[in-house]
Amino acid sequence: MAVKVLRRRDLTVWEKLYIPQIASGLKVTTAHLLRNLLLHSAHRLGLLQNRRAAVTFQYPEELRPLAPRFRSRHRLTVRDDGTPRCVGCMLCETVCPAHCITIVAGEHPDPNVEKYPVRFDIDLGVCVYCGYCVEVCPEDAIRMDTGILDVAAYSRDAMKLDIHELMNPSLRKPLTACMLEFPHECRLAGGEVSTRDHQRRN
Amino acid sequence: MPTLTIDGRQIDSPDGSTVIQAAETLGIFIPRYCYHPGLSIAGNCRICLIEVEKNPKLQIACNTPVADGMVVHTSSVKADEGRRAVLEFLLANHPLDCPVCDQSGECDLQNFYMNFGLYDPRFREQKIKKKKAVAVGPHVMLDQERCILCSRCVRFTDEISKTGEFGIFNRGDRAEVGLYPGQQLDNPYSGNVVDICPVGALTDRDFRFKARVWYLSSAPTVCNGCAQGCNVDVHYVLDRPHLNDGARILRVKPRYNADVNQWWMCDEGRYGFGWIDKGRLTKVRRQGAGATWEQAVAGITEELTKVGERDPERGTCLRLGVIASPQLTNEELFLIREIFQRALGARVTASVPMPAGNSDNFLIRADKNPNTHGAALIGLTDATAPDAAAIVAETLEGQLDALWVFGYDLTKLVADEDLQRLSRSLRLFVFSGTNDNPTAGCSHWALPTAAYLEKEGTFVNAHGRVQRIGRAFPPLSDSREDWRVLLEIAGRLNLGFAWRSPEEIFQALARSVTPFAGLTYERIGLHGASLMTDASVAEVAVT
Amino acid sequence: MIDLAVKVVLALFVFFGVLNLAALHTWLERKQSAVIQDRVGANRASILGWRLMGLFHPLADSIKMFTKEDIVPAGADRILHTLAPVFSVFFALVTFAAIPFGDRFLLGGRVIELQVAKINVALLYIFAMLSLEVYGVILAGFASRNNYALLGGLRATAQMISYEIALGIAVVGVIMIYGTMDLQELVRGQGQNLAGWIPLWGIVVQPVAFVVFLTAALAETKRIPFDLPEGESEIIGYFVEYSGMKFGMFFLADFLETILVACLATTLFFGGWQVPYLTSSGFQFPWGATLPVSQPAYVLLGVVSFSIKVVIFCVLFMQLRWTLPRFRYDQLMRLGWLGLFPIAVVNVLVTASALAFLKR
Repeated sequence: MAVKVLRRRDLTVWEKLYIPQIASGLKVTTAHLLRNLLLHSAHRLGLLQNRRAAVTFQYPEELRPLAPRFRSRHRLTVRDDGTPRCVGCMLCETVCPAHCITIVAGEHPDPNVEKYPVRFDIDLGVCVYCGYCVEVCPEDAIRMDTGILDVAAYSRDAMKLDIHELMNPSLRKPLTACMLEFPHECRLAGGEVSTRDHQRRN
Repeated sequence: MPTLTIDGRQIDSPDGSTVIQAAETLGIFIPRYCYHPGLSIAGNCRICLIEVEKNPKLQIACNTPVADGMVVHTSSVKADEGRRAVLEFLLANHPLDCPVCDQSGECDLQNFYMNFGLYDPRFREQKIKKKKAVAVGPHVMLDQERCILCSRCVRFTDEISKTGEFGIFNRGDRAEVGLYPGQQLDNPYSGNVVDICPVGALTDRDFRFKARVWYLSSAPTVCNGCAQGCNVDVHYVLDRPHLNDGARILRVKPRYNADVNQWWMCDEGRYGFGWIDKGRLTKVRRQGAGATWEQAVAGITEELTKVGERDPERGTCLRLGVIASPQLTNEELFLIREIFQRALGARVTASVPMPAGNSDNFLIRADKNPNTHGAALIGLTDATAPDAAAIVAETLEGQLDALWVFGYDLTKLVADEDLQRLSRSLRLFVFSGTNDNPTAGCSHWALPTAAYLEKEGTFVNAHGRVQRIGRAFPPLSDSREDWRVLLEIAGRLNLGFAWRSPEEIFQALARSVTPFAGLTYERIGLHGASLMTDASVAEVAVT
Repeated sequence: MIDLAVKVVLALFVFFGVLNLAALHTWLERKQSAVIQDRVGANRASILGWRLMGLFHPLADSIKMFTKEDIVPAGADRILHTLAPVFSVFFALVTFAAIPFGDRFLLGGRVIELQVAKINVALLYIFAMLSLEVYGVILAGFASRNNYALLGGLRATAQMISYEIALGIAVVGVIMIYGTMDLQELVRGQGQNLAGWIPLWGIVVQPVAFVVFLTAALAETKRIPFDLPEGESEIIGYFVEYSGMKFGMFFLADFLETILVACLATTLFFGGWQVPYLTSSGFQFPWGATLPVSQPAYVLLGVVSFSIKVVIFCVLFMQLRWTLPRFRYDQLMRLGWLGLFPIAVVNVLVTASALAFLKR
């Protein structure tokens, strides 16, 4: 292996004196200090609002503007009649590199729709937010545009989103009542499945 | 025999054969929808267009007879262009609902579109709406919109099942496949129309929406539904338990075997796999309580060593009866013969009474056991052997002190009270089988064993053809293969068997039982091998 | 008796003043670093919705420190472990007793020196206390029963002892010039003007000593760029095994030392409580104008002047802290022994020669 020796540049006498160098460093920091102090004071007086004094976003109150392509928590889009747009083709489950999507398909009463997800779970504790599910969906049924970033829970189970939370991103655990009118596997009370009007097999 | 050139390669093809067949023998695949080797030629889909030199127009490969000196180009620019145009027409009214279609992933429309697709569609017209999700029979779902009118299903019901339920109605772009009035697609071979349908028009109701086909793994095996021994592929899923309520097998598809079932299989075999995942014995049980395999093998062997000894109380020799099953493989039956009949002198039978099932002269046999012929060859059902009823009767009379039942439910022979009495009087009562039944409940030891898909072995079908069953996936939870259990007990009894696998047992079987002579797993292969007839036995002896 | 009461009042004044300044120092540190780095800084702690730019954070911090679990490592020397932070804070605090923060003033016929303890060898006293502070550090490292803490303690001790020498010798020049070790007298000595208009502060007569003193004093406070003994996240310092208020006390000692150094720099080199051109009778500007000032106002102006100078030094130190990177250990030692120490010695020799020459 070729070895390449990089010698550090020797300091000049001027630099070895330290003090001028320290002074130039102080110049930089002091310039920042004075400029920002001035701007902060001006903001207090309502002036110069278009120039920011700090790059900080005051997070819970002030949300950082998300890029249009930003991938946040998933949601399932909904038809006009309140049923999910998803047809249970399982392409997202197939493409998911983290294996965090679980779909069980069922027979839709309308033969023109034919198929829909009886169960659609995403385990956010496993999800890597790659967005492949959105990319692959042929029905525009899953999107990652909720802007929800603060996904946190006290248990792994609570990280699992079921069809309720996916269809209605404003829902937060613990959920109480099932509002969905169409047949589906309801997992409101933790892991236990209560099947509501379950007509999976035709 | 005419000699022709296909894509620059010469081939001699028999008189009357077609270009598509000649190309197939060369290994050249020509796309097809309506052409099926098992059906008559319709020539209506037009996708198999080929360019024949000195012929101004493209020809269809499936209905162009071979001729001497013919020069064929299967993938020239002109042929591809023609197929692209054909596909454009076929897709004119196709709904493109691939996301909800069970065929997607194994659909020839999808596959050929990858090669000949017109990726910038020109049709702006509204598609014709037809009926979707019509249950045409107990097993088949019809979607008329997806149909490309290849008429394979019509020809199948006309020519193979000879029931003629299907027809094509109306004309032009309103033409649709459908049932004749008052008809139901309920013939015993109805599932085959799903296999031959090249698109998603006919789909399986049993498999409907359970999984996507790309989740499926496939394993070749032999149907154990009857003595015909149809070759099948089993499609299963192990890594997505949510898909089918945890059941591993999702569907069974026939596997081509010219000598047994060609391209077909019956619905009974196709949909009769539920027992492999439901109602299985999963734990070793001793008198109904949980136990381990080690305890079971040790406890059973201890009792078996006493077989043949003199019972001090009654002054008679302890005797063993074994009711084997023609559901077991040749290797296991051979082990049963070697261990129980030869070494322990037990009364052994494999002939168990079974109500004769329906049958026809095509694929369905009345004998619903897959290996009756093999059991007979090994000598467990011939005239010298007792039958199961005789052994049960002897047991009830107290002549037998120990009984081992392989999978058979004795309540088909005796009343419940007798079974209870039998259970109490026997010194040892072992049941080994795949599924739970009343006999398992009464036995002293209930041993969970592997289903045929979970083990290696061979069956002999009604025509004397030895066929291998493959191991698709490992045995369910705690169950073990019968041959493994038997080998372990043989080891404990110090019988000196050196076999460690079904293959080695089969080699011993081939040396011991004449009709199997000369056969090995390798020679049986994927398609099976005929047993030695008397003439061929003599031939082997000469060489 | 009244003398004692006056002393107690003065002591309490210094004590609370310094402690509050230390608390404010934490706020200043956060805010100043934030503003330098285009951030906002801590601003969340609030009382009744009032945030006051994060001024409540020192309060919240102290509550946090007091309520946090106090962990003593298994096998550590409990007594020494507890004693170490007390040493640190104690010696830092008592040093302030010798710092004069104002001129004497007359109250009820008494002359009150604005200084807790008038010691005629105040500088010696201060250096003695600074040296004792090493004990807090080395004890903390030793009593933690943690190799990293022990190494950190040794590093800190070596650094403090090395730089104390340069620090002491740098100050010798000042002592020689003003001829006293009593800080109050020293400050008074800086009240004259050179050539009529340049205040005769230490910085004017001893600029080299000032630079050496400032550098060595920064090293003494164990702050960036000399924070090798602490190096919290990277090299682990002597108080790695401390938590809760014990840790807080080390922190407090740190800030106290910074303030102490600021006070010393002010006193020795920037005229202490002196205001330029202000004498006890009022301002006497070099261009001849005068402005009479009453006696209490004169004293008050002195205190204010002293405070402002100290705060300016604190801010300067902070600015240095957020400007410079940390020295490597060998660089640190070389700077101390081969840089500051010879310079300080030469400075003393030159000063002595100059004084001898001028005296003649």
